[in-house]
Amino acid sequence: MTILRGLGAALLVLALGAGPAAGQGTLTVQVTTEPPGLDLTTNPSSAIAGVVFYNVQEALVKVDRHGKLVPWLAERWYTTDSKNYTFFLRKGVRFHNGREMRAADVKFVLDRAVNPETKHPYRVQYENIQDVIVKDDYTISVTLKRTEANFLWTVARQGSVIYPREAVETLKSAPLGTGPFTVGDWVRGDRIVLVRNRDYWQKGLPRLDKVTYRFIPDPNSSLAALKSGDIDVSAFGLGPENVDDLKKDGRFQVILGDSTNDVTLSMNNSKKPYSDKRVRLAITHAINKEEVLKGAMFGYGRILGSNVDPLNPYFVDVSKRVTYDPVKAKKLLAEAGYPEGFEATFKVAPQYYYTVRSAEVVVNHLAKVGIRAKIQQVEWGQWLAQVFCLKPCENPDYDMSVIGHAEAWDIGNFANPKYYFRWDNAEFQKLFKESEVTVDDKKRRELYVKMQQMLADEAPAVWLYMHPRLVVTKKGVTGIWKDLPIPSLDLSEVGWQK
Amino acid sequence: MLVTLVFVSLLVFVVVRVLPGDPALIMLGIEASPEAVARLRESLGLNLPVPVQYVRWIAHAAAGDLGRSIQYDVPVAGLILSRLSVTLPLTVMAAALMAAAAIPLGVFAATRHRRWGDYLTMTLSQLGIAVPGFWAGLLLILLFSVRLGWFQAGGFDGWGQGVGHALKSLLLPAVALGLFQFAVLARTTRSAVLEVLREEYVKTARAKGVAESAVLFRHALRNAMIPILTVAGIQLGQLMAGSIILESVFYLPGLGRLALGAISARDLPVVQGVVLFVATVIVTINAAVDVLYGVLDPRIRYE
Repeated sequence: MTILRGLGAALLVLALGAGPAAGQGTLTVQVTTEPPGLDLTTNPSSAIAGVVFYNVQEALVKVDRHGKLVPWLAERWYTTDSKNYTFFLRKGVRFHNGREMRAADVKFVLDRAVNPETKHPYRVQYENIQDVIVKDDYTISVTLKRTEANFLWTVARQGSVIYPREAVETLKSAPLGTGPFTVGDWVRGDRIVLVRNRDYWQKGLPRLDKVTYRFIPDPNSSLAALKSGDIDVSAFGLGPENVDDLKKDGRFQVILGDSTNDVTLSMNNSKKPYSDKRVRLAITHAINKEEVLKGAMFGYGRILGSNVDPLNPYFVDVSKRVTYDPVKAKKLLAEAGYPEGFEATFKVAPQYYYTVRSAEVVVNHLAKVGIRAKIQQVEWGQWLAQVFCLKPCENPDYDMSVIGHAEAWDIGNFANPKYYFRWDNAEFQKLFKESEVTVDDKKRRELYVKMQQMLADEAPAVWLYMHPRLVVTKKGVTGIWKDLPIPSLDLSEVGWQK
Repeated sequence: MLVTLVFVSLLVFVVVRVLPGDPALIMLGIEASPEAVARLRESLGLNLPVPVQYVRWIAHAAAGDLGRSIQYDVPVAGLILSRLSVTLPLTVMAAALMAAAAIPLGVFAATRHRRWGDYLTMTLSQLGIAVPGFWAGLLLILLFSVRLGWFQAGGFDGWGQGVGHALKSLLLPAVALGLFQFAVLARTTRSAVLEVLREEYVKTARAKGVAESAVLFRHALRNAMIPILTVAGIQLGQLMAGSIILESVFYLPGLGRLALGAISARDLPVVQGVVLFVATVIVTINAAVDVLYGVLDPRIRYE
């Protein structure tokens, strides 16, 4: 399919022609995947967040376009010990049904998230909540079982959006919230229309009257739709191969930024030879990440050295700790007892184009040090069952794989020996646990730096690069986020240049 | 006919269940807790033995109830009907274009046997066979949408915007979809007509002084229609299947994309429903073709 897409893209490059002018106040956005329902509280899909999060529903605290936590539905909060939090709600915020948001709604949302019956996808993140007490209509306090430095991030998550409790039954098909848009028409398989919320609590926003999300899975079709003027914004649909061409085209603006998506070469640490640190380091030394970035992403993105993305406030660049050095890689392999290398299989899911492309380049690099790797493409459902290994799978069935880990603050995956990396390191687990209860920012940063260095040195995986955030819009569209610190497509400030 | 359908239903039911990949897991994503996955499995009835699930499903299907979509949480039958409002006109349009172009061209080529008209037609149809539908679709989009701006690049705004607008948005995909089948049908028509033209009774008709057009259409084409119709009937089913790819290229909300999305989401009731529905349509078309044989050639009678 990659070849076909390449051919199609090459042809599209040849085509030129002016599209019709877009109407002021309306925007048509292409997204790749149709959301599987619109309920942020039962499904972690980023396709749902792309439509609903910050557009239809909002949380007490917001992660803004720079990745910083800012007051949102709560105008301020208070804590001295990171265990007892008091939130003061903004007054006069109305749900789409006209009723004012009150503290009782927040209590309902948090209680429901904690309740195991709810099927909340991130329930484990709310398990630490012991008690939620309504002080008055606009004040609510949350008591945790133990200190949690990251609790505000939990409150800012897509699963923590505030909705009116009387509308809990319709979250999946017609969610109500406090956001700048309401859900209009949803034509299954084709489009979702959002309509401006005239009572939005931020005066002057949103700047658009209507937003239409169109689901276009094929990148060539997305490009054609953009060039013929059918869509105004392509949010996740285009690959890096189109960037140079589109940059030259005066009708469009190309927005390239950072994201939290760490493209990771995962290894099965529970399996020989990957259980040997020397082998893992040899693999890391054998890979020329610059070439991977060029070959897979046309050079767009950023080289990584550990599992913390550049948008994280505690990010440090550790990519130089284990450099590209095939000679050293061979030496390490010989020390580990593999002077002739070994056979390996890459299981990758072509659903995400960058996985196959990256693996193709990496396989070449590994061959130069004697590791004879072959690529096996598996469909996404099979990838989840075999590589990612959730129930009923007991042990992951893979050697190596490539996938993007898009969650922010996901370093804890390496502290979980049951995660599909199967990396079990007591020292790292201790560090992570400590970071969870360390409130002091400076100390916490130190712990995060240590963890990043340790990951680079222990090499339980190879962090290849950060997948770039790539959005293409018609000229004149303003207000789109450059970076993507969270999986959202916040359109509240987006509009057309006058 | 019924036996075929039961066999198809059994096959699709078993196949979607032996596919690796748990629908509950795929729905909830990689961050979900195992308890949440188990609860969802239970509510979907996936924990029951497969034979029990099959009997339940087929009993309901016989009454027109194909179950509920896991993904959309709406009845599958309604979903299929709504998507049919795109796929049916698309298929019919592609079939009509195909037949309207292929049969006259095939006859034309047969009458110009081994002359330039024949070679030109055969080159054209060879191209149609060689060019895959999605590629033709992209080329059409490039020319008519991106460069000329006559058509939208894809999408379907529904029948509410007017029949003309709706048909216009289906025209490019219908051409791309029908291209391959057009080429096959043109070749079939040509060889069927050629064969009949060599028959003795055609010679006789010509010798009697019957006008050439009457020879061609009354004697030759009518007798050639049996193989043409057989191929065309099969093609109608293939057009429906081919719409899966074209609907993705032109991002049309049709049956094909519904099936494709349902497979990757492991939306089992929808996959089963669509396959059963399409199988029913194809079996019905084949039955209709059998009946038409009798109309074309009264010697064919079914006991």
